Amino acid sequence: MATLKPGDVIFDEARPGASREQLVQFSAGTEDPNPVHTDDDFAKRAGFATVLQQGPMTTAHFAMLLAARFGARLKTLDVTFTAPVFVGDALRLVAKVESVGDEIVCALAAHKPDGTQTARGTATIKP
Amino acid sequence: MNMQLEGKVYPPYRLRPDRALAAKMLAGQGFAAAPKDVPPTYFIYLRGETRGVNLFTDLDIPRDRALQAGQRYEWFAPIGWDDEVEVTARIAKLTAKESKSGKLWFADIEFEYRLLPARTLALRELTRVVKRG
Repeated sequence: MATLKPGDVIFDEARPGASREQLVQFSAGTEDPNPVHTDDDFAKRAGFATVLQQGPMTTAHFAMLLAARFGARLKTLDVTFTAPVFVGDALRLVAKVESVGDEIVCALAAHKPDGTQTARGTATIKP
Repeated sequence: MNMQLEGKVYPPYRLRPDRALAAKMLAGQGFAAAPKDVPPTYFIYLRGETRGVNLFTDLDIPRDRALQAGQRYEWFAPIGWDDEVEVTARIAKLTAKESKSGKLWFADIEFEYRLLPARTLALRELTRVVKRG
């Protein structure tokens, strides 16, 4: 594996918008009982236009992409959700090397196609 | 939010990774193939709810006012399909804040996953849940 340096892009991945069926599957797989991800009427009563994609799905995307590249060298993943993601919203997921030292620190960001940032975070990797 | 619950530690529960649940997680993410390894975020606070960690009820967070603000995972040792883990949840921090749209309450809950029988720490998960006013 080539030596990483600050500014290197680890991945820049597009994820198509999740369908309603996918949100149902992810809720079932994570044992999430919140209807805000699966029931439009409930989501509207909660103040949203439609059902919300699960925040942990964004975390899971980042974790899988990082684990595919680094395996057990992935030590931490810290994700803050900054805007709601709705059913059908595509996402662009980017990980960039921020610093290299005792550990490799990567900056993470998720954006919708309109530029709205939906998550930011950091991951640390054992060199 | 029941602010007096800060510091509460729940009785531990046990979990084994379930291939069928992991396959549903991956299907939700758009992957049709069966998972080869336990997905890195398979272990998630939500699994505690049917196992005695009734966070939303205990903290008085109605589902229609709940949001998730973030997650942190820290991996110490791999967890395989045949492993059993002991899970301990702790309400680490409760805070209230005023925002432009009203009052918000934040609950940081920490889950530790220990491999049995040695109780080796394998994973620490911190989740931040928000209650909207």
